[in-house]
Amino acid sequence: MFQWKKLGKVFTPQEVEGRYWLKEFAQAPATLVFDDFVRVYFSCRPQADNNGQYVSYSAYVDLERTNLFKIRRVSEQPILHLGGLGEFDEFGTYPVSVIRDGNEVRAYYAGWTRCESVPFNVAIGCAVSRDEGLFFTRIGLGPVLTYSPDEPFVLSGPKIRRFNGLWYLWYIAGRKWKIVSGRPEPVYKIRMATSNDGICWQKLNKDLIPDRLEEDEAQASPDVFYANGKYHMFYCYRYSSDYRGREKGYRIGYASSANLIDWVRDDDKAGISVSSEGWDAEMISYPHVFELDGRTYLAYLGNQVGKYGFGLAELQGTLE
Amino acid sequence: MEWKKLGRIFDPTQHALPNDCTQFAQSPQALVFNDFVRIYFSTRALDQYGKYLSHIAFVDMDKSFRDVLRVSDHTVIQLGALGCFDEHGIFPFSVLRHGNLVYGYTSGWNRRVSVSVDTAIGLAISSDGGMTFRRIGDGPVLASSLGEPCLVGDPFVKVIGDTFHMWYIFGTGWKRFTIDGPPDRIYKIGHAVSQDGINWRKEDGRQIVADRIGSDESQALPTVIGIDGRLQMFFCYRQSSNFRTNKERGYHIGHAWSDDLIDWTRDDSHMMLEGSPGEWDSDMQCYPHVFECEGKIYLLYNGNEFGRYGFGLAVLDT
Repeated sequence: MFQWKKLGKVFTPQEVEGRYWLKEFAQAPATLVFDDFVRVYFSCRPQADNNGQYVSYSAYVDLERTNLFKIRRVSEQPILHLGGLGEFDEFGTYPVSVIRDGNEVRAYYAGWTRCESVPFNVAIGCAVSRDEGLFFTRIGLGPVLTYSPDEPFVLSGPKIRRFNGLWYLWYIAGRKWKIVSGRPEPVYKIRMATSNDGICWQKLNKDLIPDRLEEDEAQASPDVFYANGKYHMFYCYRYSSDYRGREKGYRIGYASSANLIDWVRDDDKAGISVSSEGWDAEMISYPHVFELDGRTYLAYLGNQVGKYGFGLAELQGTLE
Repeated sequence: MEWKKLGRIFDPTQHALPNDCTQFAQSPQALVFNDFVRIYFSTRALDQYGKYLSHIAFVDMDKSFRDVLRVSDHTVIQLGALGCFDEHGIFPFSVLRHGNLVYGYTSGWNRRVSVSVDTAIGLAISSDGGMTFRRIGDGPVLASSLGEPCLVGDPFVKVIGDTFHMWYIFGTGWKRFTIDGPPDRIYKIGHAVSQDGINWRKEDGRQIVADRIGSDESQALPTVIGIDGRLQMFFCYRQSSNFRTNKERGYHIGHAWSDDLIDWTRDDSHMMLEGSPGEWDSDMQCYPHVFECEGKIYLLYNGNEFGRYGFGLAVLDT
């Protein structure tokens, strides 16, 4: 089992002022390391509208490289505009995953639209930054990864990586909408696609992580990291119903692989769970692993899926 | 190219239809059998909210197209499951034989909130001669992409050589033409190819047929046939706003031809299918489908009100 030392909550969106679009939530942290700071992208929301509905934006917070609990700045504007009328990302850009590509930074993000019979649908878009990740422009009006026979809806949670000269995208795909207490809830599974250019993708069309809790277990945030000769995936998973509380809410799981396709699930090894009290006592979710100056960190969300921000844990030992 | 009009051949209000459908027989598409022609069409029921659901039905007609042999009394294909791309209707439905199977490409509809609808193209396969179809998966085979942001639909598939070709439409976007009215959509004809009919490679956003009435022209339901060694495409086109009741702005049939499957030359003057004053197609002609039967080339199409009262037929005068 890995040993993680919890360092506490790093960023609290409610403490940020002067940004109408950043009132609460700091979801799905994703890092981009600079010489003297670490830029952490996250997704946030303005207050809900009169119908109780949210849109989501993505933004960043820069943390001092030598002290990740010291905030240098928070983005003045969202890093992406919402999509236009009828486009796939009209109502939200959440989550975001970034990667350097030469002088550019590419962002893969989930774009949200609103539907009539179910609350939303999601597809994955791509945007490019030429100013070191301050602002991103979509490379097309439509998604870069969209629905297909085995992945009918809710393509979300992209995590972009490059290994061995190939682009990899881990993401989730909706399996079904399950009616829970009269309300449709999406069930989704972890999937993968590969690409030579990051634009044209071949889907693997396979569930990577076997279900453990139940057939309708929902899996999210497949964060893949290479260390010590193998690939490590941290992700989160939950029950399909009553998941907004402690008992059936998100936990962080773990799997490993030698070839990026066949994964062995071993949640007990993840080594991090809810605290007995505090900001991460009800649920922990949306893990993101990164390495910095010889240390390995895990950024993650706490209660209410990041409504009050994200925190950090530091690995004691190595990933192997 | 002169078309001789044979008049309306099917009026859905004169027949019992499956799935509690009452009106509309839209986008007729033919599957030719030895001694009859099966014509699939989209017809409509009302759901619990008073909104339309489009279902697929068919009529079998003798080869003179005068007699109705049967109208389907069963569900030809189920609508999609909750949250799927084809949950709220299938319209149009394009069929072709492939070995012993019949492939049915669906244009699936799902309702949105800020705009009325989005669509994508699915594949369903029949192993009982086109009586019933089962989808190959809950999701689509062709959907929105970087260069085609919305409303991928209206498939027409033809195998040329050993390649599947699909002509279809994609939305370029939604636009508010009036301050207080709902947004309208604009769509154009595109092209994709496939080796297996399942995995498609789009040209992704290339409009293959030029506009004739301005950039707000919407083009719909392409149908392609080879005549004397040249590919002929028929489709319908209209203005993108105020097109439902203003017949000058409504659907008419357009035409283009190609010798290489890449460049299409638009030439509506070769179409010459006018509405007949006072008749079922006086104000609108739309959703064309061209097919060959017993050595003749026929054109199925809808008339007024987008096919509320059925479809008619024309034959190429040679």
